Amino acid sequence: MITAALAESLTQALVVLVLISGAFIVTRKDLLSLVSTYQMQSLLLAGVALSLYSVDQSPTLLYLAGLTLVSKVLLIPYIIKRIQRKINISRDMEFHYVSPIASIFITIILILLVYGAFSNILKELALSNLFYLGAVFGISLTLMGMLITFSRKKVITKIIGYLTMENGVLLFSLFITELPFIIEVLILVDLFMIVLLATILSIGMDSSVEAYQERFHQLHIEDLQEKLHLHRKHRGES
Amino acid sequence: MFSSLFLTGLFFLFFGALLPLLSVRSGRYVRTATLGFTAVAAVLLLVSSAGVFTGDVQEEIASYNVSNALSFSFALDRLSSFFIIVISVVSFCVAIYSAGYIEHGGGNAKRNILAGLMNVFIASMVLVVASTNTFSFLFFWEIMSLASFFLVMYDYEKKETRKAGIFYFIMTQLSTVFLMVGFLALYQVNGSFNIEAMGSASQLMTTAIFLSLLTGFCIKAGVIPFHKWLPYAHAASPSNISALMSGVMIKVAVYGLMRFVLYVLGPVDWWGILILVLGTISAIFGIIYALKEHDIKRLLAYSSIENIGTILIGFGLYIIFQAHNLPAIAYLGLAGSLFHVLNHGVFKSLLFMATGSIVNATDTRDLEGMGGLIKKMPYTAALFLIGSLSISALPPLNGFVSEYMLFAAFFSSNTLGDPMLTILLVLCLSVFALTSAFVATCFVKAYGIMFLGLPRTDACANAKEAKKPMILGPAILAALCILLGVFSPALLSASGYGTLPVPDLMLVGSFLLATYAIIWAALYHSYPNKTRVGATWDCGTPLSSRTQYTASGFSQPIMRMFKATYKTKEIPERTFYDKQNSLFRSGEAKVTLLKFFEEYLYMPVGKKVMSLSIRVSRMQNWNLDTYIAYAFVAVLLVLVYVGWLI
Repeated sequence: MITAALAESLTQALVVLVLISGAFIVTRKDLLSLVSTYQMQSLLLAGVALSLYSVDQSPTLLYLAGLTLVSKVLLIPYIIKRIQRKINISRDMEFHYVSPIASIFITIILILLVYGAFSNILKELALSNLFYLGAVFGISLTLMGMLITFSRKKVITKIIGYLTMENGVLLFSLFITELPFIIEVLILVDLFMIVLLATILSIGMDSSVEAYQERFHQLHIEDLQEKLHLHRKHRGES
Repeated sequence: MFSSLFLTGLFFLFFGALLPLLSVRSGRYVRTATLGFTAVAAVLLLVSSAGVFTGDVQEEIASYNVSNALSFSFALDRLSSFFIIVISVVSFCVAIYSAGYIEHGGGNAKRNILAGLMNVFIASMVLVVASTNTFSFLFFWEIMSLASFFLVMYDYEKKETRKAGIFYFIMTQLSTVFLMVGFLALYQVNGSFNIEAMGSASQLMTTAIFLSLLTGFCIKAGVIPFHKWLPYAHAASPSNISALMSGVMIKVAVYGLMRFVLYVLGPVDWWGILILVLGTISAIFGIIYALKEHDIKRLLAYSSIENIGTILIGFGLYIIFQAHNLPAIAYLGLAGSLFHVLNHGVFKSLLFMATGSIVNATDTRDLEGMGGLIKKMPYTAALFLIGSLSISALPPLNGFVSEYMLFAAFFSSNTLGDPMLTILLVLCLSVFALTSAFVATCFVKAYGIMFLGLPRTDACANAKEAKKPMILGPAILAALCILLGVFSPALLSASGYGTLPVPDLMLVGSFLLATYAIIWAALYHSYPNKTRVGATWDCGTPLSSRTQYTASGFSQPIMRMFKATYKTKEIPERTFYDKQNSLFRSGEAKVTLLKFFEEYLYMPVGKKVMSLSIRVSRMQNWNLDTYIAYAFVAVLLVLVYVGWLI
């Protein structure tokens, strides 16, 4: 099988690739490539889990890899792609606070900041290089996901940002604190919930959150007014 | 024995608060019963506190634990029982007065709520004074503030009342903030909420606690420059509530100041100077503002500011003389101050209640719309006269005694041994003397314009005398004004201040009475008995009520003298036909008054707070992205903190 040294360098390479995929998500505008990148990122994460398993032999890692593969590589991207086909938009051109170009610079600063902070925090733990790298990249990926969530206006990109955040948490937990398996499962359930909600709300998917809220609001009020009108009519007749 | 009486009194108040609030829509009988409960409670409280006061005993009342650290606990000692005597005497008379007064205006529900809340208000004041720890002190302080806020808002339909209510609410909350800061700092030092002598603390800490508590109590007491809520709130609230607020509530703040300065912090010489100067400023400016006021209730409110100033002057003198080891003079100051607390409670509630009757009868608070009321409302006029004489400190009434004591303490300032301090005291003395003269001027104006001459409006000409309870309530207080004055030496010696040099007013009074009798008899005999009836010489212009001397006319010379204080601006604009300005064409003149404290102190602070609040509220923009961005920034800050700052 694979030697420990090989596994280590393989993991390192995969982790770096995960981060690059994160940076890619931060800058991309067209939705299709966003989802594909997310799919790729999840696949890379599954790979990280597997290569760690080859060193550690802990069955949890194996389950995690399987779970990630089924849900994040196959199921979730499939649903999102379906929504995208339905709402018929391909590019997210609206931004809040920061543009994609500024985002990439912020991302660089973020990684440096997290790196610096962790070098101070994890000094006592005396971790191996690999684990240190994984932790730093995990947190950076989470923050990048957050950056996407608040800087994009379209709901669908927000969801991808949220999914990216979750990937960051998974990456961190693979290297530093091994979360109990049940929590990983629960987080996945949450993810499914959010994607399902997105599908339900897909009538408003072609716009931003504000516009959708407005539409929803108007609908509600009109509905009420109609009811009131009917009610009055009814009373007038009787 | 005293404690069970005290608790029974509180029980009556509690029941009196509950009864009308439970049956809000019920009629007059419930209200009268409620006010009866108030009166019974006041008597019980009076008996128990008078027992403690004269017996000089420490009476533990009760204690209820809320949690391990926090508890409500009450006790009476001489200081607190004295203030409860003041509260209960005034409350008793106000309860009687209210039985008539409350039936004017508002529906059943409003009247019932007024009666119920009045009991809450009285009970909270009693419990503030009886509290033995800062937690229960602050708790009932807040109840007192809230109850009085709702009472001020009684006529909430009027815009003026709403403005006054909000102003009062903000100021009273500000006062609570300062008290809370002071109490928490005290807790830091002592490690307990008990009101007891403070443990060792740094000079800075003690000073900070003192200043914080002083500010808090001064706001509530209406000491200048924190006084601005007082004229608004007193004018807007119903007159029985004004009587309680002015007669009693602001005294509770004085009680707090005395309790914490004397029993907890331990006064230092310069605190006394600060309090004395604050008191002097309040006294002189309070009465100067009162002089220009034509709204009778606002005039009385400003006069309350003046009296609080007088009380603080006595307290300041006590601290100064005590610090210089002159206890005899110091006690003269303190006794004068405390006696003035009682006296002001008595005559100011009397004046407010009499004013309430007049405002009810004439439907106006403006002095310029009154006049000639002595013929329409003779009893109320007599009561108001006694109150005016008493507040003007004329012998042999009670106001004279307390002011005399303060003057006597002032005159001993040459024994201090510190020339600078003596100069300061003499300066304050001269200002205080001026204040006393102005008080007389102010009430000559108020009484003269209201009761003498001809009625200036129809409402005034058709005014009816107030109902019996509305005369009985103030009448008790008027009797007290005389009794407290005439029997003051006996009263002071009964309360343990027998050694103080107070003139025997019984003697002075009978001498004065004899003099009046002789003068009257002499005049009666030497003047012709025939009555001639003839028209007043009117220069050919028929005289009407509009040709009378007006309130503005009366105060005009003083307005001129204190132009700088009022910041009045007289703007005469004249145009002429010729270049030499001798042929007058047309002209316009106006007098503007600057509201100094509002425009230079309150408004700037208010604006700063407002702009800051707007800036903060802009952060809340109801946008999901913004909130996520906040979370993002917060995470980064945590990272920086954990990485570098720990």
